[in-house]
Parts: sequence; C-alpha cells; structure tokens
Amino acid sequence: MRTVSGGRRALKWIGNTLLALMLVWTLVPFYWMIATSLKKDKEIYGFEATLVPRQPTLQNYVRLFDKTPFVKYLRNSTIVAVGNTLASLAFATLGAYALARLRFRGRGLIARGLVFTYLVPPALLFIPLFAVMSALRLVDTHHGLVLTYLSFTVPFCTWLLMGYFRSVPIELEEAALVDGCTRLGSLFRVILPMSLPALAVVAFFAFTQSWNEFLYANVFVNSVEVRTVTTGLTLFIVEDVFFWGPMMGASFLSALPPLLLYLVFQRWVVKGLTLGGVKG
Amino acid sequence: MAIRTNEAVADRGGIVPVGARVRPRRASLALRREGRLAYALLTPTLLVILFLVAYPFFTAIVMSLQNKMVGSPGRWIGLANYAELFHDEVFLRTAWNSVVYTVVAVALKFVLGLTMALILDQERRFNNFFRTLLFVPWAVPIVIVSLNWRWIYDDLSGFLNNFLITFHLTSNIISWLSDPGLAMACVIAVVVWAGTPLYSMTFLAGLQAIPRELYEAAEIDGASIVQQFFYVTVPRLRTIFLTTVMLSTIWTATNLQFVLILTHGGPANRTEIFPHLAYTTALGARRLGMGAAVSLVFFPILAVLILLLTRRMLRPSDD
Repeated sequence: MRTVSGGRRALKWIGNTLLALMLVWTLVPFYWMIATSLKKDKEIYGFEATLVPRQPTLQNYVRLFDKTPFVKYLRNSTIVAVGNTLASLAFATLGAYALARLRFRGRGLIARGLVFTYLVPPALLFIPLFAVMSALRLVDTHHGLVLTYLSFTVPFCTWLLMGYFRSVPIELEEAALVDGCTRLGSLFRVILPMSLPALAVVAFFAFTQSWNEFLYANVFVNSVEVRTVTTGLTLFIVEDVFFWGPMMGASFLSALPPLLLYLVFQRWVVKGLTLGGVKG
Repeated sequence: MAIRTNEAVADRGGIVPVGARVRPRRASLALRREGRLAYALLTPTLLVILFLVAYPFFTAIVMSLQNKMVGSPGRWIGLANYAELFHDEVFLRTAWNSVVYTVVAVALKFVLGLTMALILDQERRFNNFFRTLLFVPWAVPIVIVSLNWRWIYDDLSGFLNNFLITFHLTSNIISWLSDPGLAMACVIAVVVWAGTPLYSMTFLAGLQAIPRELYEAAEIDGASIVQQFFYVTVPRLRTIFLTTVMLSTIWTATNLQFVLILTHGGPANRTEIFPHLAYTTALGARRLGMGAAVSLVFFPILAVLILLLTRRMLRPSDD
C-alpha cells in the first residue's frame, strides 16, 4: 500500500512539472504575439530588440486601422462566415431531420456519402473548384466563398445534427404527429426547440471553420474588396517592410472571434470533437 | 432499430401474415410520401455534395489525365503526368518529406496529447482553468499560428534567437527556417503546437468516461500504476486513439498552410510536402493538370483512411 501512495505522490509531482512545461510551451507564442503588437519598431528589430515591451504603445493598432485595409478584411470575413453559418444551419437542419427520422430508400447511402464528403480534404478539390469558380464567374465574390465553404460545413453540420435529432425521444414527436402536426411542423415545434444547444454548437463550428479558412479564400479571391482576414494577413508581408508590429496586432485581433467563441462553447466543443469533428 | 424493422417488413410486403394484408399497402403509400419529403429536405445538401465535392473530385481525375494549363483547355495525355512525376526528383523528395512530416507530426501530437490528457485527468486545483489555457491553440486559425511562429523563428529579431542570445545560450544567430537540417523539425514543431489540443481534448473525454471502480479494482488486485495504465486505460481508449489518429492523419497530411507560410517548401525542397507542391504546380506554374495529378497520387492512401473512418463515425449514431 505504501509504495502505491508513494508512487501517487511522485506522479502528482511529475504531473505538476509537466503541466508547467506545457503551459509555457502553449502560452509563449501568445505572449510573443501580444508583446510584439505593443512594441515600437525600435524594440522589435535590431540590436535594441527586447523580450518585454519597455514602452508599451498602441501605435501598431492605430497604424493597422488607419493605413491598412484590415477593417475591410474583417468585414469580409464576417460577411462570409455569417452567411455560411446561416446557410449551413438551414441546409443541415432539413437534411439531418430527413436522415434521422424519415424512412426512405438510400438513407444509409446518403449518410455514408455525407461523412465521406466531409473527410475528402480541400487540398484535393481546390484545383478543379478553381476551374468551376472561374467558369461560373464566382471568383472574387463573397457568395463564391460562402458557396465553396458549404462543401465542408454542410456535411459536418448535417452529420452532427443527425446524432442530436436521434437523441430526441421519438415518443414526443409521435404525440405531435397524432395530434395532427405535420412532419415539418413537428421538426420546428418539437425537435428544434429541444435541440437549441446542438444548433448553437453547429453554428459555432460552421462560423469558426469559415472564419479560419485559408486555402479557398486564397485561391478564389484576389481583390481587396472581397479578401478575408486569413489571406489579408499574409499580404502584410509584401506590403510593408516593417510589418511585424501591425501584423501581430492584426493576428491577435483576428484570432479573437474564434477564441472568444471557444471560451463560451468549450464544454460542447469537446463533445463535437469526440464525435470526430474539425480539422486539426 | 424499430425504424429498420418496419422498413424491412414494408419492403417484403408478401411475407406479412394474411390478416395484415391491408397494412403494408397503406404503409408503402405513407412510405412513398415520406420518401418524397425526405428527398425534398435533402435537396440542398445533396446539391452541395454533388456540385461542390463529387463533381470537382471527378474533374480532378479527368484533369490529371490532361495537360491543362490555367486559361486554356487541356489535351488528353493519358498517364503522362503521373509518369513524369515518378521521374521527377522534386516529387520523389516531396513524397518522402510528406511521409516523414505526417508520421512524425502525428506521433508527436499523439504522445504530447496523451500526456496532456493524463495530466489534466489528475486531481488538482484550477484544473479547468489550465485545461482552457492548454486547449487555446486549437481555436486559433492556422494561418495566424503559422505567421506567429514565423516571427518567433525570425533570424534577427525573433523570439527564439532573442531569448537564446539574451540568456547566453548561443552566441551566433540560428537560421531556424532556412537551415536545411533544421527547417523540417521547425515546421513540425508548429504543426504539433497547433494540433496537440485536438488529441488531448478527445483523449481527456475518453479518460473521464472510464469508471473509477475499474482502477480501484485493479489496485486491489495489486496492479501498479504502470500496469493500470496498460491494462485499464489503454484498452478503454483504443477506439478513441484510432479515430483521432486517422482523422488527424488526413488533416495533417493535406494541410498546406504551415509550409506555405513558414518555408514555401524550402530550403532546397527540404520541407516540400505534396499539398503544397500541388498548390505551387497548379497556381504558381499554372499547370492545373499536373497539380491535380500531384494531389491525386496520394489519394489512395487517404481513401483507405476515409473509408475506415466513415464506417467508424457512423457506427455509434447509427444503431
């Protein structure tokens, strides 16, 4: 017995040490990002470079908003992410209800197709999609991006909602149907009200995935008017020689929306992830 | 389960006992109506799958058999693109890099993720707070992660060199991303930094689902902590291990953002991996056909993973 509890204590000690190391490993990059964004150029580059900002300043942020199209990028990301989230929610709700509750030929096949589709990586699709988008004149448009993002948000959201809808007790729906409710009526009056947390999680995933997307945004958009933050940020490298200050400020601000959402939704995020969600 | 049985009965109308003859016909009418409603509801989803995934996918196959360039129609050239690839030194280098990159990154994420999960599963004050902090990298867009790390690795003013020189750990500047011997390791470190939380999140959820009684029973039977780990924890987490590793392998192998932003595949192709090579071939060299071929060469391996995962991901929710 004594050796076991001795082992326990040793384990605890090892655990705390490793925890401290992992916290450092995880947090240092964030520190460096925020610290850089608060420094003057003199402290960022060259021999006087510092590890801690000596005279913290917000001038990088001012520069970002006054002299770069950063606000435009933020606006575009918001338009695309919100548009995609709304469309994904609508499509996924209808599709998931059919797959979870209706009997029809091909149901199993479609369910398999959905998961398969979700797992086909964008790296395989962006080249032909580029040809499709050019042919349809959807290059450099917001709705072009919203449309292409549907290719990964809709399958995933549908699949996630399908699981939730199945967990709503079938008796509730049967009761509604017996009382003369139509199928769609029972979807909107019985199932959806009971699935609000699930809808929130699905919206969260759709929004973050659209906000964070880079490959399609980079390939299908060239103009500043449509460019999203993820691709806009990479442009700072070319636009300005002394770009790291504003760039780190921009990085920090652009990471905020998904970060804050993560803090709000973290309990449910884990559930979504264990079901196999989200690229990482 | 109940739904399945009904479906089976309705499909085989003839087998139903004579007394119940009327039911299957009514049921099949209702079924047909239900089927029509189902397809109506699924139309948007099916359109997305067909036009944004299936169609481009098959177009990619066709393109890879043509010498299509950006802005001009392609001519049919059979397997010439693939043949060229297998004689191309850059491609062979890329294939090897891709394997190393994926295997090492996935292995490291697995080990670190499991360690992190085990630590967070211990009892400790403020554990929820620590968990939130450790999972934060997951929520940061990969582009931002990559840009941030490129700045950390910066030769003259980056954090690493700055730190090492300030504390006299090195006297000369290290070119992290342009040293052929270091670049790949540096890129992988970033991939691991960003990807570990996914593993720890799923592993931790699995750990917390293991009933404590199992450990108590094992302890009474005299199992050491190491034995408890291998005989209680590992078997219970096997499915989660498999699912997470397969998912992450697909995303790791096909993500080009890290390489695109950190090194562009350099120095001397040391960090070139196939999604990035496909990207530069298709959009840099404007050879769409060849680019499609590069991305498709690796599809068979991915397809196996995707098929296995598809079955796995539908199992828990499909019974």
